[in-house]
Amino acid sequence: MTPRVAMLVDDPTLARSPFGEHHPFRAERGAVTRTLLEATGALRPDDVAPVERVDERLLGAVHDAAYLDAVVRAGRGEHVDDPRGFGLDTSDCPIVDGMHRVALRVADASVSAAELVASGQALRALHLTGGMHHAHRARASGFCLVNDLALAIEHLTRRKGWRVAYIDLDAHHGDGVQAAFWERGDVLTLSMHQSGRTLFPGTGAEDEIGAGAGLGTSVNLPLDPFTDDAGAVAAFDALVPDVVASFGPDVIVLQAGVDAHWRDPLARLALTGDGLDALFARVIDLSERWCGGRMVVTGGGGYDAWRSVPRAWARLWGHLARRELPDDLPEAWRASWAERLGATLPATLGERDRPALDPSVTGRAASHALAVARRVSQRFALLARDAD
Amino acid sequence: MIVRDVMSANVVAIDPDMPIRDVTALMELRRVRHFPILEDDEEVRGRLVGIVSDRDLRAVGSSHPSGRPDVRVHDPVRHIMATPVATAHPDDPIEDAAKRLRERRVGALPVLDGDVLIGIVSAPDLLDALARSAGASEPSSRIEVEVPNRPGSLAALLRSLAGRGLNVSSVTTTRSEPDVVCFAIRVDSIDGPGVATGLVREGWSVLWPDVDTPTRTPQGDRSAVGEAS
Repeated sequence: MTPRVAMLVDDPTLARSPFGEHHPFRAERGAVTRTLLEATGALRPDDVAPVERVDERLLGAVHDAAYLDAVVRAGRGEHVDDPRGFGLDTSDCPIVDGMHRVALRVADASVSAAELVASGQALRALHLTGGMHHAHRARASGFCLVNDLALAIEHLTRRKGWRVAYIDLDAHHGDGVQAAFWERGDVLTLSMHQSGRTLFPGTGAEDEIGAGAGLGTSVNLPLDPFTDDAGAVAAFDALVPDVVASFGPDVIVLQAGVDAHWRDPLARLALTGDGLDALFARVIDLSERWCGGRMVVTGGGGYDAWRSVPRAWARLWGHLARRELPDDLPEAWRASWAERLGATLPATLGERDRPALDPSVTGRAASHALAVARRVSQRFALLARDAD
Repeated sequence: MIVRDVMSANVVAIDPDMPIRDVTALMELRRVRHFPILEDDEEVRGRLVGIVSDRDLRAVGSSHPSGRPDVRVHDPVRHIMATPVATAHPDDPIEDAAKRLRERRVGALPVLDGDVLIGIVSAPDLLDALARSAGASEPSSRIEVEVPNRPGSLAALLRSLAGRGLNVSSVTTTRSEPDVVCFAIRVDSIDGPGVATGLVREGWSVLWPDVDTPTRTPQGDRSAVGEAS
């Protein structure tokens, strides 16, 4: 069987937010993107793969049983002792009926994406509703209940014995995934994000480097607010290619959050769609260079939900599947969502406007980003040398 | 925080008659930079009589202006130890210990509970504590607010946050002036800008995250549901 270049894992159950429709996390973003890809012909019916159920044992490897039990009970409306001790019943993760079903379904879909790649059915698999990188072993956090990424990574290591390079481009630090593999030498976690000093969750400093067998395999590139395309891309180039080459992964798992976009209301980075696209293309290049092109990709943050997000994710799919996308977006697609969302969707794939930022601000952020990237790269190289 | 929370409890003390050469070797072995020096007297077994640092050891036999060309490596460490010793009490606030380090121009303070040596606190220990107190111990967003410098300001701000169901994991003072005080508050939400917007609507002066963000100009559109560009 010749593997397909790329597949999208999706089904209608994934278009529900676990926390209801007034919450900033909008799960319909995946469906908006999918319908855009279908309308442009970039996604064909046989590109879509179904969602399979996750093995319970895999869940137990990533989350404590008591925590999973609390999430399920809370989602069923049953009593939970001290829900806040599990990060539940908070402003980010309120208790909502059925939330456990949605969260577990998202996890199923990300593990299904991992299995498509592990089994060789597809070279690359994308699951846009995934990317719950803040969920911890026994704690919900930052809109995330079940860590679908840690499950997908764990699945790849168990099923194939693969070395996994996890790259997280979300504007927020990938703290849950980093914590899950903190002491693992076979999983590299690399997160590029707005610094914890100025953005949730507060971690992801450059001196967080892992421990034990995983010493050196947690890598963090914190960026100052208002880092722009040039700054982010230069910092990426100064760090990520060398780290991935040195680690030698069998597969790359990418968290493709797009809240680093300048229009995002939650974060304060200043990338454009072109900058995000350049980073995604670079990660795909790295996968082709070092691991035969194998990639498992999820969505993530992105709260300028109907404007920046579908554009960035459509372009990402275009790269993954090697399909061309038109710049003019189909009117029928815009019309089909306009009423449902109460928002006007973009008419073009390319963005026509740019943030109006003082060049001294973006220049300073870019210069800092490059200095941090070089320091982190040096430290990584020293630790990798010591480990040999 | 107090000194007890940040000090190193497994402190190595030495005898004043130990040859300098051996002290140097021991310092290298233990990878520390200071040894308190204890000597028995009539009242106290192991009274703190001095301290020696890596810098004192390097001065031995040196003709550098701060060197001790008169001392040889086989001499007892008593000849070069610093005395009297600047010390800390385990219940001292760490800011007092930090000030004492700077005033006495030393790198570490032996910690004495009465006459008993129970630890040592160094400048790096204090810096670590400072770094921890400024950082995030829980997943949280940092909100910086400037409030009038008068009774009840911070209490009102915290009540407003509590009213939104937010938990506060840390409060630090970033600036204090006669009229205003700035607090950096860490709250358990990913939506820092949403919290800031709510506070601004109530009339609070929020310094971070900026609500009228330059990244959202020129349209100035702040809603997640927006117009096509």
